[in-house]
Amino acid sequence: MISIENLSKSYGSKLVLENINLNFEKGKVYGIVGENGAGKTTLFKCIAGLEKYNGAIHCEYGKPKDFLGYLQTEPFFFSKITGNEYIQLLCNARNVIYPDIKEKNIFDLPLNEYAVKYSTGMRKKLAFTAILLQENKLFILDEPFNGVDIHSNIIITEIIHKLKGMGKSIIISSHIFSTLNDTCDEIFLLKNGKIIKTVLKEEFRNLESEMKAFTIGNKIEKLNLK
Amino acid sequence: MLADILAHPKIMKQYFILQFKMLNRQLTEWGIEPVIGYVVGLFAFIGISIKLFEKTQFAEYIYIVLALSLVIKLNEINRNDFLKLCYSKTEYIKIRIVENLIVSIVFITFLLFQEKYLSSILLFISVCLFSLLDFKNKSSFTIPTPFYKYPFEFIVGFRSNYLIYFFAYFLTFMSISVNNFNLGIFSLILTLLSCLNHYTNSENEFYVWVFSMTPKEFIRYKLKNIIQYSTILCLPILITLALFFYTKIDIIVVFQFLGYLFIFTTMLAKYSVFPEKLNIRFGIVFALTFWFPPLLLFIIPYLYIQSTKKLKEIL
Repeated sequence: MISIENLSKSYGSKLVLENINLNFEKGKVYGIVGENGAGKTTLFKCIAGLEKYNGAIHCEYGKPKDFLGYLQTEPFFFSKITGNEYIQLLCNARNVIYPDIKEKNIFDLPLNEYAVKYSTGMRKKLAFTAILLQENKLFILDEPFNGVDIHSNIIITEIIHKLKGMGKSIIISSHIFSTLNDTCDEIFLLKNGKIIKTVLKEEFRNLESEMKAFTIGNKIEKLNLK
Repeated sequence: MLADILAHPKIMKQYFILQFKMLNRQLTEWGIEPVIGYVVGLFAFIGISIKLFEKTQFAEYIYIVLALSLVIKLNEINRNDFLKLCYSKTEYIKIRIVENLIVSIVFITFLLFQEKYLSSILLFISVCLFSLLDFKNKSSFTIPTPFYKYPFEFIVGFRSNYLIYFFAYFLTFMSISVNNFNLGIFSLILTLLSCLNHYTNSENEFYVWVFSMTPKEFIRYKLKNIIQYSTILCLPILITLALFFYTKIDIIVVFQFLGYLFIFTTMLAKYSVFPEKLNIRFGIVFALTFWFPPLLLFIIPYLYIQSTKKLKEIL
């Protein structure tokens, strides 16, 4: 569905992404893991077309942004817009008819209240609901499980499975390894702007312990906690 | 109180130096050199104030309302919660009192200069008391609007400025009561200016990016919203004026049409620099078009080309 060729991105002299080559197929779920600042969000923004980059992104449907549901880490909401109106706005943007929201409000959000009054988790669920109703073909979910309660996490995981079954492609970043383990077919490890490893489903078991050893090392001892 | 504040000069100094830096950065972002901004701002304030006190007997009340609305704006919940987390209770109250006084000092001083002693004392006391109050809005009441089909500018704008619209309708009513057509036209201009104000701030990039439209389609979509929704807001005024001053219907139509053009120009100007914010240069050009509207014939095509270029990068 989408292939990324030699994608690089720099801010001034700082190289944030270096020669990224990735392929995302239909009906598959991909995970991207990496430390804070590794370049995950920048990569997502490049795919979405929100950032300029060097290299190429090929997509069989045309511009990725026109069929991409992008769930940002911290979705932005206007100060005086209700949940309902936010969904209406996102549906209008994709020329999708606003559905019967009572049935589709699976997270039981108070859609007639201002979205800025929602908790962090509720905001994420509202933004997620809206991109689902846009009928997108590709999804980028940047930290979809952060701040969301356990029940909703289960629902989100099931939705991801359903989307996969419908032949859509999903790219997820998460710091909670178990959620990636449950949903992904392939995981890419991003470090200092480079994909340093690609891990297939059958190797996931080793990945978590490898990541722990790799990330923690002897850093905690160095803290010399007292 | 002053002695108390001076007892912790370091904390206060750090906080206000930071606020001063932030204000300077904001002015620079608007394209104004801070020093020039302060000097011009002060002279403009004095000039407008003198005119206001010459023109109306209600000037001191307008002054009090203006000063208190600025103070209320500072009383933003999240900002105050952040201050409470950072500072002790006494420091917090001191900071709030000093910043409220900084915001209102020019108003208090001018009232004193105009020998409105009672009003200046009342304003001073109110400003200090407002520092101790928390306007936490825990109500889940949502102001209804007729704009739900095409969010967001008019929904957000109406909910933020609904008092202005009701004030404008009240002025229309007054214009009929006292048979003053100019007052009626003023109420129409006030409504249109308020609609225009909805397009002066750049939205988060996501809200442009998300549209599957070409730049031309996007601008057409926004223009449709402008005509549809500003007409809804102007309709009570238009109908009333047309009924009671039907001999001057041509003037009413001209003002309404100019209103559409100015709002459209503001929208184009916003997207011509998007995602940057509108700066002072736009303000100057805009003031010129108010003075000589035919300039719009040149400005609109120019801004249209610039906006399509900018939007092409995002859409």
